[in-house]
Amino acid sequence: MNITSTIIDSLDFIFFGFAIAAVTSYIILAIISAFETVNYMKKNSFVNYTEILSSSISPSISIIAPAYNESLNIVENVRSLLSNHYVNYDVIIINDGSKDDSLEKLIAAYDLVKVDYLINNQLPTKPLRQGVFKSTNPAFEKLIVVDKENGGKADALNFGLNISTNKYVACIDVDCLLLEDSLQKMIKPFLESTDEKVIAAGGVIRIANSCKIKDGKLLDINLPKSSIVKAQILEYLRAFLLGRMAWSKLNGLLVISGAFGLFDKKIALEVGGYDTKTVGEDMEIIVRMRRYMEEKKAKYRVAYIPDPLCWTEAPDSYKIFISQRNRWTRGTIETLKKHKKIGFNPEYKALGMVSYPYWFLFERVAPIMEILGLIYFLILIFNGFVVWIYAISFLVLAYLFNVLFSIITIITEELTYHQYSKKGMGWQLIKTAFTEPILNHPVVLYAAIKGNFDYYFNKKIKWGEMTRKGMSSN
Amino acid sequence: MLEFFQNSIDSLSSMHIIIKICIYLSLVLASTIFLSLIYLKNLRDRLKIKRRIEATYQKKYESDLIEYLYAGDDETENEQQQKIVIYLKKCAANRLKRKIIIGTFLKLKNDVSGETADAIQKLYYQTGLIESATSKLKSKKWDVVAKAIRELTQFEIKETHDEIIKLVNHPKKQVRFEIQKYLVQLFRFEGLEFLNIIENELSEWDQIQLLEILNKFKNLQLPDMSDWLRSKNDSVVSFTLKLVRIHNQFGVKDEIIALFNHSNPEIRVEAINLVNHLGIYEAVAILKTGVFERTLEEQIAFFKMMEEMSMPDDIEFIKEHMNHKNFYIRISVMKIMNLITVGDDNTFTINNIAEEYQINTNLTKAS
Repeated sequence: MNITSTIIDSLDFIFFGFAIAAVTSYIILAIISAFETVNYMKKNSFVNYTEILSSSISPSISIIAPAYNESLNIVENVRSLLSNHYVNYDVIIINDGSKDDSLEKLIAAYDLVKVDYLINNQLPTKPLRQGVFKSTNPAFEKLIVVDKENGGKADALNFGLNISTNKYVACIDVDCLLLEDSLQKMIKPFLESTDEKVIAAGGVIRIANSCKIKDGKLLDINLPKSSIVKAQILEYLRAFLLGRMAWSKLNGLLVISGAFGLFDKKIALEVGGYDTKTVGEDMEIIVRMRRYMEEKKAKYRVAYIPDPLCWTEAPDSYKIFISQRNRWTRGTIETLKKHKKIGFNPEYKALGMVSYPYWFLFERVAPIMEILGLIYFLILIFNGFVVWIYAISFLVLAYLFNVLFSIITIITEELTYHQYSKKGMGWQLIKTAFTEPILNHPVVLYAAIKGNFDYYFNKKIKWGEMTRKGMSSN
Repeated sequence: MLEFFQNSIDSLSSMHIIIKICIYLSLVLASTIFLSLIYLKNLRDRLKIKRRIEATYQKKYESDLIEYLYAGDDETENEQQQKIVIYLKKCAANRLKRKIIIGTFLKLKNDVSGETADAIQKLYYQTGLIESATSKLKSKKWDVVAKAIRELTQFEIKETHDEIIKLVNHPKKQVRFEIQKYLVQLFRFEGLEFLNIIENELSEWDQIQLLEILNKFKNLQLPDMSDWLRSKNDSVVSFTLKLVRIHNQFGVKDEIIALFNHSNPEIRVEAINLVNHLGIYEAVAILKTGVFERTLEEQIAFFKMMEEMSMPDDIEFIKEHMNHKNFYIRISVMKIMNLITVGDDNTFTINNIAEEYQINTNLTKAS
């Protein structure tokens, strides 16, 4: 009996301790984020982005957008990328062995012809299929279309790094809608920094489902009816407004969303480009770049821009949602495993002692702890060891904390970007804050556990399909 | 009801301490959620009302301003105009209204010129807005100082120059940049005097913005840039190199040649990049000696420069690097030897004139 009691006490202590640590870390991150957001807003109110737009000496940027079977929206998406207000940029579309008529559509829409193009093959990639295309129409002179054999997103991005002649590269998902001022906002930290090198910058990703978009421009922001998408909106707001802002302040960002990130091309090439063997290439390259800079003992920073610059379509079915989160989990496991050397290693300073341990504990281990906790709870119920008053008290407390955290996120959004300003939107977000922990969180947990299972027992699974409905016709 | 509460309190007091903490915390969280919801509702309403108020006042001040501008003759102010001045002065005492008035003045000032613009400037003085802005220069809050300098720049108030230049090495970069913009916007190239005294680095972002402001002013007397090219502040040197490029300052060629041995490799590359732009032919021989002791970036810049500056005598030297391990150097060599032609858009054609040279296989031909 004593042994059972000791085991139960120990497990109680572990689960309780883990929960307290997680909650404390969220609170600390939220407080740092709040201060940093206020600071950013104050500083940003002095910035004039118009001068950089017209300057011929503004640094050159390549937008690299891999596309695989994106025929439905490819023409519209490219038009959106070409309508950026920044002066010195080009758009490189990598048609990564699409089986549909993406290339034919692009050729017809943009008057493309095949050209001989200088390519510096610094990174190994799959070879060209039909070749490189440029437009005969001067209106589309910024556009470069590459048709290559399929090698996956990372391989396509590496091809983009090889073909780009510009100093900076913006790696994006082709279906993302970039706001017209996104590039000058993203380039700012690179140009502003004088005492440390900015190696990459990430932007906020917002969800565009149900938003009104025409000719590649965001006209009207709406909230979708689907509860799963609304839950994701809240989740993204929480992550970007109350999480990444703090990591940016601590210079501990380990991930820049693959949907939109700007990189110093030289550093990206020096570290060997994207890893084609992982499904979490967006996180992996940042960790590798940071590791490289730490090992060089160079002063550097991964910047973060809290402005809503990039809008994307979120999964609106549980199947696709689970597949996406499954992939994110596998990507996290792969990256943390590959770079385990930096974990808890004081040589890597904050990266090794703060960022890595946080990701390991609260991203990698958290779903496992959660599921183990649930199993443990079921065992306790089965054996009649549950003191229900304790269980219910903790459950209510956890739920209320979750809801409060989401409501603080909504308030932060109101005080900063105020994007969901239409009547009724506030109420809908609040409703979602109350329902999300019950409806959405179990699905997220399931996807994370499935991701763990697939990583260890189902190695064949790679990316998974994302069926696009398209944003342009909304 | 009272009995229910009494019973609840009694049963709570007999509970374990952890349960008590949980219940108290839950009550605190529930109350915070409730208060947050009220705050959120209030915040959304306030933002809507604020926008409405701002729009109303803006309309009102716009019509007052237009009335002021068209009410009197050029020389004297009539009673109606004086009334408007008094009214606006009274409104300017309120922070929100002052902000709207300044916005309204600026909006119109940017759209007009000549006498109308002068009249708005005059009104800026009469309504006491200038005193409000200058008094803020002494504020301990950096954002207040920066906003004041920006306002003085927008209204082109030159008489605050001496006071503002004292702040040129302000600890906050946002303030420093507002000062730099003030000086350049109002005093053109003379405003670049700050380059002699700045102690901090001028970021690339600041440099681009300042150059864009200067680009708007044509046919102005350019200052002597030699001292800045010898500055110990690398960012001043870098900024000056950009000025030299934009304004084709061949006169500073000796200083540029001296920069080939600057301690900062980025400055050395920028200096090499200028050789071709300014046509400094004597620099070619200097650079050619010991080019491979330089950094790879400098070597690339050198070969890029040679694409335009090489002479027939240089061909033997160039030819030796046909198979250089660096892609950009190889391409430059092939271009110099006229083996390939590369367009501005990076497309290329292989020329058939030199069969004895084998074209590098790394060139990816699509056709």
